[in-house]
Amino acid sequence: MKFTTITKWEFKDTLSSRKSVMIFILQLSILLLMIVVFNSFVANMESEQGLSIAPSLSGFASVNVQDSSGLFQKRINTQVLDVTSSNYNSSLKKMQQGQSTGFLQVPDDTVNDIRTMKPVNLVLYVDYTDPKRSLVENEVNSTAKTMQDAISASWVGSLNPQNDSEPEFSQKSAGGAMPAQVMDRVMLAILLFLPLFLFGNMLVDSIVGEKERKTGEILIAMPISQAQVVLGKGMAVVLTIAIQVALWILILLIAGFQIKNLFLVYALVVLTSLPVVGITSAVSAYAKNYKEAGIVLSFIYIGIVGFLIIPAVAYVARKSMAANISSMTLVMRLLSGEPVAPVDYLPAILCIVIVGLLSYWIAVKLFQREDVSFGPRPGILKLLKDLVSLKF
Amino acid sequence: MVSDAMISIDSITKSFGRIKALNNLSLDIGKGELLGIIGPNGAGKTTTIRIICCILKPDSGDVHVGGYSIHEDQIKIKSMIGYLPEEPNLYERFKARDLLRYFAELYGVPKPEINPRIDELLELVNMSDRADDRINTFSKGLRQRIGIARALIHDPPIIIFDEPTMGLDPATASNIRSFIRNLKGDKTIILCTHYMREADELCDRVAIVNRGNVMDVGEPDYLKSKVHGETILKIKVKDLNVDLNKVQDFNSVERVNMVGNEVSVSLKSRIEIPDIIDVFAGNLVSVNTEEPTLEDVFINAVG
Repeated sequence: MKFTTITKWEFKDTLSSRKSVMIFILQLSILLLMIVVFNSFVANMESEQGLSIAPSLSGFASVNVQDSSGLFQKRINTQVLDVTSSNYNSSLKKMQQGQSTGFLQVPDDTVNDIRTMKPVNLVLYVDYTDPKRSLVENEVNSTAKTMQDAISASWVGSLNPQNDSEPEFSQKSAGGAMPAQVMDRVMLAILLFLPLFLFGNMLVDSIVGEKERKTGEILIAMPISQAQVVLGKGMAVVLTIAIQVALWILILLIAGFQIKNLFLVYALVVLTSLPVVGITSAVSAYAKNYKEAGIVLSFIYIGIVGFLIIPAVAYVARKSMAANISSMTLVMRLLSGEPVAPVDYLPAILCIVIVGLLSYWIAVKLFQREDVSFGPRPGILKLLKDLVSLKF
Repeated sequence: MVSDAMISIDSITKSFGRIKALNNLSLDIGKGELLGIIGPNGAGKTTTIRIICCILKPDSGDVHVGGYSIHEDQIKIKSMIGYLPEEPNLYERFKARDLLRYFAELYGVPKPEINPRIDELLELVNMSDRADDRINTFSKGLRQRIGIARALIHDPPIIIFDEPTMGLDPATASNIRSFIRNLKGDKTIILCTHYMREADELCDRVAIVNRGNVMDVGEPDYLKSKVHGETILKIKVKDLNVDLNKVQDFNSVERVNMVGNEVSVSLKSRIEIPDIIDVFAGNLVSVNTEEPTLEDVFINAVG
């Protein structure tokens, strides 16, 4: 198990390197800045006036309302939800067909009930498997609360003849927090996955650096297999990522973010770092220098980010089990408190294990190849040919 | 063939693309022997060393180190060898002591032995006072010394030095040579060098490698004696009108030639030197003797 020696010293080297510590601090500063910027973004969304940089969310979620009095329907914020008048049967049909997110049923004699101070029972139908339901729930709750406050103020005013203030029926909060909830989860998931891509340079420095500094020759002359060298270096980066993610989570908790299923979320993020580190190792093992590795990894990282984010966003827009292939989807679901069945973890875990093992195997094979380490370096086509003819 | 060979190289070949670096190279190195490998650039010295250290694999042939084959027991062989490459290439950010500790752990030196071993080696290479300085503050000479300490950290029975004094100032080079001299006898050492004097001074035997093959191998004196006579007598004369046939008639004389006012006499032995000098009596300006060097052997072998 000599790879642990490599891991220990690489990690120690990272902690003792001023450059690495500076990168570490810089990343934490960026995170803090992002929290501030994100909070401003949310504040902008919540505000009814002033400029907003928020993208339009019209059409994102919709609700059908059966409200003969019109009391509730006209107070629902149409900037947040698409509101349509409808009846019970038609609304449920639309929900089943995925054409609407929820259905609000307001009793017909609501006006009389209010006048006679009887309770008004609103009925809200939502699909609990649809992540957009929270928007509808929150907006309806917010509208009901506003109505309730206004009715109470009016009732208290009627008891006290000196109080001549006008009952206030305007909605104070336009419900910006509701789209922010979904945005919050997506952003939170992105933030937690960000450290995975911030330590690529450390691994590139560790592997390509052996070639550039010509220290690789000594390392290969050590009584330790190349597989252990690659594993040891990779594990040092995984360890650094694990610490960084833990620190980010801590900062987010201190900043007031709610992170549900904390340990599962943490485990999934750290687990996702394994294939990212494996791919980075493979590229670094083949690259001639830092520059080459950096360029190739930039493109590959864009692809990985896309692979993680696109299914997650797709899941928000339209619930799909295929989106579970991305661990970010699972993290987002866990963050929202949605129950995740064990079978839902399978696609992402399988993907992580397969890509992780494959990339690590390629990295080791490349590191073992004399022509890759000492030249003349073979082209990609030659490597593929060797792979096909089992000479890799 | 060397009886009791510690390292036995058997017909190894190695190509890099179209370039054939080694061509059926065979060589034995005895236990406790210091073997020098000399040869021009690209002769195959470093490739040979890298194959012995299991850094490269030969295309064909085998090498046995301490009885283990490089094809089967790489880890065992690697743990028996201390290797100092041409450039020590150390981890710049490490402190000298940390670097030695790192390699000690990789070599599997037992924990309680690591610190005493590091202190001992730092003492040996006269660097105890720089133990806690970072490598990137060291000069090339100091790096080479730390490189030697690193190669010795696990007290290996075999040490391989590739151009250990290359690019060093004469004083530091002399220091490094004295370290190597001190190791002689205890360890089996391979010394790759461009410096013929270094090989002549330090090595028990020297192998001349060219174009991926061993051109000649033997003790330095034996190799030198093969180049030409034991001694060259150089006589400067006033009058250029000299009868060289009188000199050629001596039994010990192999060749005579004259360039300008200097007569060069190649001798098989030194016995007749006074008689030869007498031939030039009254016409002498100066007399010198010149011993053949390994450089002559090298040029003769490599061409």
